[in-house]
Amino acid sequence: MNNRIVDHPILGKIKERKVISFTFDGKKYTGYEGDTIASALLANGIRKLRVHEESGNPRGIYCNIGHCFECRLTVDQEPGVRACLTQLQENMVIESGKRLPAPLKSEGNRDDLPRNYAEFAKKYEESKEDDPRA
Amino acid sequence: MDKIIICRCEEVDLEEIEQTVNKYGSSARETKLRTRAGMGYCGGRTCRPMIDTILEQLTGEKPKDKIPLKVQPPVRPVSLARLGDKTHHE
Amino acid sequence: MLDVLIIGAGPAGLSAANACREWDLNVLVIDEFPQPGGRLLGQLHQEPNGKWWNGIEETRMLLEKADALGADIRCGLSAFHIEKASHGFSVYTNQGVFDTANLLIATGAAESPVPIPGWTLPGVMSIGAAQVMTNVHRVRVGNRGIIVGVNVLSAAIARELQLAGVEIHSMALPALNIVNEEHGHPRKVMERLVRMAHLAPSAWIRFGSQFAKIDWMRNLAVKFYPKHGVKMWGLPIHIRKAVTEICGKDQVEAVTICDITAEGERIPGTEQTIEVDFVCIAGGLYPLAELAAVIGCPFQYIEELGGHVPVHNEQMETPLEGLYVAGNITGIESAKVARAQGALAGLSIVKRMCRESEDLKQKIHEAKQNVRTIREQVTIQFHPGIHQGRLKMETVFKEVCDQ
Repeated sequence: MNNRIVDHPILGKIKERKVISFTFDGKKYTGYEGDTIASALLANGIRKLRVHEESGNPRGIYCNIGHCFECRLTVDQEPGVRACLTQLQENMVIESGKRLPAPLKSEGNRDDLPRNYAEFAKKYEESKEDDPRA
Repeated sequence: MDKIIICRCEEVDLEEIEQTVNKYGSSARETKLRTRAGMGYCGGRTCRPMIDTILEQLTGEKPKDKIPLKVQPPVRPVSLARLGDKTHHE
Repeated sequence: MLDVLIIGAGPAGLSAANACREWDLNVLVIDEFPQPGGRLLGQLHQEPNGKWWNGIEETRMLLEKADALGADIRCGLSAFHIEKASHGFSVYTNQGVFDTANLLIATGAAESPVPIPGWTLPGVMSIGAAQVMTNVHRVRVGNRGIIVGVNVLSAAIARELQLAGVEIHSMALPALNIVNEEHGHPRKVMERLVRMAHLAPSAWIRFGSQFAKIDWMRNLAVKFYPKHGVKMWGLPIHIRKAVTEICGKDQVEAVTICDITAEGERIPGTEQTIEVDFVCIAGGLYPLAELAAVIGCPFQYIEELGGHVPVHNEQMETPLEGLYVAGNITGIESAKVARAQGALAGLSIVKRMCRESEDLKQKIHEAKQNVRTIREQVTIQFHPGIHQGRLKMETVFKEVCDQ
C-alpha cells in the first residue's frame, strides 16, 4: 500500500491506525480504520468501481463527497452504497457495479414488445415455460 | 471517443441535447423529459448547471429566478422500505 | 422535538450549532459525510502573512467548542426530504424522521463540471475529490496528473496536491464547447485571474503582477502568453493550451492537449499526447440548495453568488418562518465567511426562540459586522462581484416579504 501520503510538510505524519480487512469482488484487501471504502480501494490501486448499468462503460469515484453517486457499490449485499461516504468495516464484502440487461433500450427488439395486455400475458406465459426457475 | 457526455447517470451527450433543444425549442424540463438528462441516479446534481448553461447558450436567455429544473423529493435515492418508515425521533 | 436541526456539519453548520448551544437551545447537527467539518476539512493554504490555513485544525477547534457546549453532531445521516408541519419542519433522513421548530440548511456547494470527451473514465475526478482524497484521507490520487480548468479553487488545490508530493504535469483549459464557454476562453480566464490576483497568497500576487491591470496589457498577455506556461510554485499554468480529450480503456492513460488561439480555437497540428493516470476537472462551485427548493423556499438567480440561491436576508432568515440558510448555499465564498454566517444564523434562531434582550441584540449586531469584516479581508474570493451580489439579495428579500 504505497499510495498513502505518510509524511506531509504541513499536516505532519499520518498516525498509526488499525488495519482492516475486506474483500472487493472476491479478492482480499486491507485498509485502515477511518478509511472510506473509496479511499481504501484507491490506496490499493483500484480505480474502476463499476460499469454503467446499460452501456458497460467503466466508472470510478468522481466527486468523492456523496453528490454524484458514481462510486455506488454493493456492500454486504446492500446495493447503491456510496463508497465515498461509507466507512470501511472489518470483513466488509464489497462488490463492483455490473452491467444489467436493458430489454427496453437494447436496439432492434422494440417491435417485439407487447402492445396490449393480451400480448403481454401470452409472452409472459411463454417466458415462464422458458425459465427453468418457474 | 469524441462524445461529450453531459448527464453521466443516463449517458446523454451534448449533441443529443443540442439536437433536442434545436428541434423542439424545448425548455430545461422538456429537454430533460425528452433526453432523460438529469433523471438518473444522482438526481441531476452533476449535470444541472451544465444543462442550464447549454440552454442559456442556445436560447440566449439568462436563467430565470425559478429553478429551471424543479427539485423533486426524495433528493437522495431511498429504498421503498425507508420511504415508508415514518418513525419520528423523540 | 428539537429547537433546531442543522443540515450540514461544515463551518457554517458547526458555528451555528455553537451559537445556539450558548443560549441553551436543543440542537442536532446532521451530515452525510463520515466525519464533521464539511469541505473545511481539506483546506490548506498559505495566507499572505505566511501563516497556514489548515482546515483540519480549524475544524478541530469548532468541534472542541461544540463538545464543551454539548452540541449533538451525527454523521452518516442523509436528509432526503423536508415537510412543513404545524410544529415547524419534519426532516426525513436515512435514519428516521426528525421534528424541529427551526431548520438551518447549510449544505454548502457542489461542483460544476467542465465536460470534455472521456471525462467519465475512472481516474477523472472533480478537483474537490482530489482535495478530500489528499488532505483528509491521505491517499494519492495518482502518480502524475493534469488539471483541467484554471481558476482560484483549482490553483489552490493544485498547490495542495503538490505539497503532498503528487506530481502535476500542468494546469490547462478545457477544450472550448458551449458548456465550457466561461472556462475554455483564454481571455475570459485571464480576466478573472487578474481581478483575483490582488487578494491572493504570495505566488498568486507574483502571477498577477506579471500582467498589469491595464486592458491592453492584459490582451497582450493573452496574445503572447509564454509557450511553456507561467510557472506558479514550479507548476506550469497554461491558458493557451486546452485538453481536448481524455483517453484510456478501463481508466485514464493519457490526455490530448493542443495549442489554442486567444479566442480559444484549436490550432491544428499542435496536438500532443501526455501520459497521466489522473485528471482533475475544475469548473467552479454552485450553491447546493435542493433541500431549500423541496420545501418551497423562493429562489433568485444571482450570477455573483454562483447561481440559484434561496432568498434570504443579512440575518440568514428566509421568507419561510423558522427556515434559515448559511454558508455556501447563500453564495460561493470562503469558509471563513461561512463560519461567520453560521454564528449569525445561530443567533437569529436564538432571537426567534428566546425573548429578545439588549445583550442578544448587541450580539446579533456584532455577528453581522463580523460577516462584513471577514468578507472584506478574505484572501480567497470566488467572484469579484460578491458585494453587488449580496446587495441584490437584500433587495430581493425585501421585495419577496412585501408581497
